[in-house]
Amino acid sequence: MELIYIPLILGLLSFLIPASLVRHYGLIGSLALLGIVIAHAATFDPATTHYVLNPNKVFPLGLTFKMGYDGLGLLMLLLTNITLPLILLSNYNRDLARNNVFHALVFFMLFGLNGIFLSLDGMLFYVFWELTLVPILLILFLYGDKNNNPVLFRFFLFTFAGSLAMLMSFFALGRLAGSFDYEALLAVELSPQIATLVMVGFLLAFAVKIPLFPLHSWQPGTYTSSPMAGTMLLSAIMLKMALFGMIKWMIPLCVEVKELTVWTIMILSVIGIVYGAIVAIRQNDIKVLFAYASLSHLGIITAGISVFNVESLFGVSVQMLNHSLLSVGMFLVADILEQRLKSKNLSDMGGIAKLAPSFGFWFAVITLASVSVPFTAGFIGEFIIIYEVFNFDISMGLLSASTLVFGAVFMLRAFQISMFGFPKIDSFKDLTINELAVFLLLGAMILLLGLFPQLLKDFMEPCLNNIVNSINAKPE
Amino acid sequence: MSTEIILGLMMLLLLFAALINGTVGIYLPKRLIAILACSVVFAAFGLSLLLFFNFEAAEKITLFTILKIRETSINASFYLDALSIWMTMIITGVGALIHLFSTAYITEKEDYYKFFTYLNLFVFSMLLLVLGSNYFMLFFGWEGVGICSFLLIGFNYSDPETGFANSMAARKAFIMNRIGDVGLLVALFLLINQFGTLEYTDIYKIVSAKDFTVSATFITSLTLTLFFAATGKSAQIPLLTWLPDAMAGPTPVSALIHAATMVTAGIFLIIRSNYLFELAPLTKDIIVYIGLLTSLYGAFSALRQNDIKKVLAYSTVSQLGLMFVALGTGAYTVALFHVTTHAFFKALLFLCAGSVIHALHHEQDIRNMGGLKKYLKITHITFLVGTLAISGFPLMSGFFSKDEILASAWSYNPVVFALLIAVITMTSIYMFRLYFLVFHGTVKIDKDTQHHLKENPISMTLPLMLLAILSVFGGIINLPGLIFHGSAHWFDKYLTKGTEGLSAIHPHHPEASFTWALMIAASALTIGILLWAYNTYARQMKTALPDAELKGWQKISASKLYLDEIYNFVFVIPIDRLATYSYKSFEVGILIRSLRVFPKVFGFMGNVVAKLQQGFLSSYIFWMLIGLICFIGYSIIILQFWN
Repeated sequence: MELIYIPLILGLLSFLIPASLVRHYGLIGSLALLGIVIAHAATFDPATTHYVLNPNKVFPLGLTFKMGYDGLGLLMLLLTNITLPLILLSNYNRDLARNNVFHALVFFMLFGLNGIFLSLDGMLFYVFWELTLVPILLILFLYGDKNNNPVLFRFFLFTFAGSLAMLMSFFALGRLAGSFDYEALLAVELSPQIATLVMVGFLLAFAVKIPLFPLHSWQPGTYTSSPMAGTMLLSAIMLKMALFGMIKWMIPLCVEVKELTVWTIMILSVIGIVYGAIVAIRQNDIKVLFAYASLSHLGIITAGISVFNVESLFGVSVQMLNHSLLSVGMFLVADILEQRLKSKNLSDMGGIAKLAPSFGFWFAVITLASVSVPFTAGFIGEFIIIYEVFNFDISMGLLSASTLVFGAVFMLRAFQISMFGFPKIDSFKDLTINELAVFLLLGAMILLLGLFPQLLKDFMEPCLNNIVNSINAKPE
Repeated sequence: MSTEIILGLMMLLLLFAALINGTVGIYLPKRLIAILACSVVFAAFGLSLLLFFNFEAAEKITLFTILKIRETSINASFYLDALSIWMTMIITGVGALIHLFSTAYITEKEDYYKFFTYLNLFVFSMLLLVLGSNYFMLFFGWEGVGICSFLLIGFNYSDPETGFANSMAARKAFIMNRIGDVGLLVALFLLINQFGTLEYTDIYKIVSAKDFTVSATFITSLTLTLFFAATGKSAQIPLLTWLPDAMAGPTPVSALIHAATMVTAGIFLIIRSNYLFELAPLTKDIIVYIGLLTSLYGAFSALRQNDIKKVLAYSTVSQLGLMFVALGTGAYTVALFHVTTHAFFKALLFLCAGSVIHALHHEQDIRNMGGLKKYLKITHITFLVGTLAISGFPLMSGFFSKDEILASAWSYNPVVFALLIAVITMTSIYMFRLYFLVFHGTVKIDKDTQHHLKENPISMTLPLMLLAILSVFGGIINLPGLIFHGSAHWFDKYLTKGTEGLSAIHPHHPEASFTWALMIAASALTIGILLWAYNTYARQMKTALPDAELKGWQKISASKLYLDEIYNFVFVIPIDRLATYSYKSFEVGILIRSLRVFPKVFGFMGNVVAKLQQGFLSSYIFWMLIGLICFIGYSIIILQFWN
């Protein structure tokens, strides 16, 4: 339970901390949360579900208030709570570092996120899902570009419409099951028509958040008009809850139409992989470029989800961690460029590696990690996922393998134009201590995961077995 | 010392030097960086000699399991056999000499530590590639050398004049290699599916079992994907245009990576998988013809190049093609023999070119050279040795390895043999042309440069001399069995005995009379061309024409059969257009525009939208919070009081 209420308390306390100290407070608070998650992980038996709240009865309106985690939920908690300190650390010397409201909002958001990963009740899941939207909207609204209202409005409409569709799906399922208990929802047998509708409801909510092609068009605008921390929260953390939703909720609950679900996600993902990469090739705004890169990278993850076996889901787990870490890295790079050059345009950059060698080095590391070279987590993740997709369907596998080539095209282009060439400017401030620390931590984790993925696999396998078995047990 | 320790020491030393130079190198004096970087590679060479002389039987050293996919364990492990030890010796031996050469070649203080870090990392990755015990480790090294190659081609990225071109060349190399990597990736998938393992020894066990059968379609697609991967790294049709551009890198890099070692990775891959290729005759035929075409292309394009490094680059493409022809005919040991001799003389030629370029302050156009034999005496002699070796001058190393390729082609198909003769003729022509234009004829450099022109320091000339000795005598390892019956074919025997799969393939040695005839004819050909070239370029003082005056075949050769232009037209421009078009028309035109319309539909009327836009956030959040408070209140109440 402490995973739920401690962020809430931390958020409320943020208002009382002197503005000059709030960044330390935020970092320590987020590290404390990470500590709690690690403590949970240390005592956890991966084959089971650990309940943190289980009243064991059905309350009016079908609520059950069941909360708990399995291996996947714990992985998501870990991912979120590892990424958050990194985001706050990146933010250490930015404008928002001394802002109480910002830190409060971040903790409120974490309250919602932890809630999502712990919910074992459909209605709780929905409530927490909606709840995360409030703080992020406020962060974007208060600290983003002054005239980003129309952009935000679109972002809001998209996500809100998606959420409503999901709510309808939950209503339909809950009515048939008699409660919103996860197990009960899982046990319901749906007719193909109902199952299709329910699936579409979930898909709309998740596809908007991830985003899947063609619902991604809110993303570049929102990323460019957001403050760095907002973009990182969106990309590194928020969209993971949609991926989690797909694995934990959407596919198991709509197993009656599994073929349809799987192929829909697969095809949209593969289009996203290729389309995102191709559009990214000619982008000049570095944040827009990274937004399309993200579309392409996430296509790999969702393609892996749609295969839905133990191996592919493990690949997805690695790739989700990798994507979160890389998102922090990429948007930190973008923000460093933007802050110090007062421009996001590649044509204003050049020769920065000469002026700021340390930054050049770490940008190179991020670039190489994002094109998934060996020794990085992305290599392992992509290898497994593309292998599984290849076995699922050869043509889909080959199309997703094109990411090896196209991914290199746009990332190297961005890297070389900005870092190589003859310097266009006189000076460029190299990395500050906190930025260097973020890159070091990211680099270490990516390397660790790239060399010893089996450690994570041993941890994840029992739980992934349970998830996959739970849908195989049910007749289609 | 046990082999584990030797191997571990070798890898760790290289990694250690790269780590030190990469992190604190910027604060270290140049000399220290150079000593550190060179000594580890020399030490690695020493250790590889130890491995070589203590080698008895193939050995596998497993460190840990990287990943289990279903029943397939992917291990971080090493494999020592005749093939991997031989490759290790070439890589560290030639690598050490090139490291030594580079200490004088690279002059800029700020580049120094970076250059040697990359170079050490390259040697490390290359060793990973050849020493790994499975295809996954090979993939690790395969991509690793690709990255080092990328970093080193674009090494002079900040040069005001050539910086941009260097970066583009680096990117082109990386991307073309990546296209090949997709082939390797697919090959790995197929291997896992078919054999349930990626370990060489396990696959060999399965394949060599008596009752092993496999569908022809499968084995052909598997070997074709492997071969496709090889065409990327080893610059064969269709993925070859990156290699000439890769000459943008510093010359020692061209010598080490783009001539002697990395580009032979594809050949290594095929020799390593020989037992798979033996099952796929169709693939082998394709390899012969691709190799032949590439070889003809490279040799023809080299005829009228005027950049000293470009001539050598196309020559490398052509020579690699020859090696693939040998592979396709099943003469795996012959291919590796030519890899070895080629490593010696091509590294030598590139380093000589580097020596010339360094002495002339970065002049690379042979039309501005001439008469350099007076000034660069050692470079001149060693370059001549390299030229003779590559042209197959009697008794030089290239003479033996090339004759063996010709012999295996003869027994394969006389047409292929005839075309190889054409390649070899062209090789002699462009090499002698290069040699005479650079070192003979009139001196074209200006008086001022002439005044300062002198031979490079010993750290540059010593590697040249050592490589020259190897280029002359390298052929000894695999003499034909005509006179020296006892010591003949030592290399064939060594490799066949110590490498899995090769012992099952019986190399076809032609009759003595044919070998004699071939050797005499090849010698006559080379000497004839030498005399012709001497007459044309040294006595009649014919010079290379400016590009504008070239006509007919010369123009086509100078423009490399327009392959770059064709690729641009067929691939680069369409993808570029597609990128622009899909962004402008689809993304902005349809998706983002519909995004703007969407709120209007949602709000039905204009003023509703306006109101919503202004007040949406506050009202949404207000209602959201109200809802939330109600929900929490409700939750608390029922959780507390419901029984």
